[in-house]
Amino acid sequence: MNDAGDRSEPFFIGWAKAPTGLRPFLIGVGLCLVVLFGGVGFIAAATQADPGSGRGGRGETAIGVLTYDPYPLLYVTESERYPTGHTLLLSGNAKFGVQDRASALDGRLVQVSGGPVARGDLDMLRLRNGPDGLSLVEGAPATPEVPEPVPLGRWRLTGEICDGQCYGGAMRPGTGLAHRACANLCLIGGVPPVFVSTQAVAGEEFLLLADAEGGPVTDAVLDHVAMLVDVEGEVERRGDLLVFRIDPASLQVAP
Amino acid sequence: MVATLLQIAEVYLWIGAAVAAVFLLWGIDRVEPNAAGAFVFRPLLIPGILLIWPLVLWRWWVLTRGETGVRRHRPPRRVQHAVAIVLALAIPVILMGALLVRQNRPLERPAVLLAPPAAAPAAEGEAGQ
Repeated sequence: MNDAGDRSEPFFIGWAKAPTGLRPFLIGVGLCLVVLFGGVGFIAAATQADPGSGRGGRGETAIGVLTYDPYPLLYVTESERYPTGHTLLLSGNAKFGVQDRASALDGRLVQVSGGPVARGDLDMLRLRNGPDGLSLVEGAPATPEVPEPVPLGRWRLTGEICDGQCYGGAMRPGTGLAHRACANLCLIGGVPPVFVSTQAVAGEEFLLLADAEGGPVTDAVLDHVAMLVDVEGEVERRGDLLVFRIDPASLQVAP
Repeated sequence: MVATLLQIAEVYLWIGAAVAAVFLLWGIDRVEPNAAGAFVFRPLLIPGILLIWPLVLWRWWVLTRGETGVRRHRPPRRVQHAVAIVLALAIPVILMGALLVRQNRPLERPAVLLAPPAAAPAAEGEAGQ
């Protein structure tokens, strides 16, 4: 191709009016790019794990029996939103739990108020600060009975350890390696850890974590948060919540 | 390990701060005539010098030896072709390597019942619903 030929051919310049001879080609390229990038974007988005709905609300109030171990829970006895007998996980605002406020109220009838987060069968209430968020119900005739734990056997499960607050919808996504630092900060702050199983156990996909004795297990799981792990332990049902009393020594990254 | 890395980074940045101070107050006038008498822009160079102070020192030394004009750009241009080939090979290898070593998910791995509950068979039936 010589110089004269080069000069006679239309030449595209971004800021100049497109030469007539090049317009069909440019339109074709433009359409292909729109379809190509649109398709790649759709496929990339469609292959991502479901980040959850993140549905919640501005404020909910419930009355129920609080239990402290392994993490603060509420067995609902009265609420507009939650059915009686439902088990709520409790956390505080931001990346904090409510252990400091809940320790003196173990087994007592309390009123809680805060912002709900919910994902699937996980329900958590992020309590307001101070007595507005958690207070003893004065003058209650009698504290209702807390359901006895029902053992469901020893299981080996594969799944991910998350913090209940972010997984419930405070973050989207609240799972995966990219969320590991956030999850660890939440867990260190006292937010209850949950195990998200790859397959449902007794109809439940998430289980509250505890150690083998039923106590808090946060420190033992921090190195395995946000990864797919295998772990063994006893599963028990408390109300409508499953508690996974794990053996931390059995924790291993899934192959 | 992390503490050691942070200490190394801290030392690196302190050396960069020293290089920035000397270069911006004294050296830049000698290697770039257009910078003479111009001071407002110099603080803007501090973050960059903190990070790439070895390159600054090397360029400073090269320019002080009198290499100017086309020659000053020759070294990066000379390696451009090789760098392009290396990057063309390295980027796909890094991406493929990352995909290979990352965990495969989501996975439907079965939940394995290792031992049934010792008691309360009625409760077990209820849990399976």
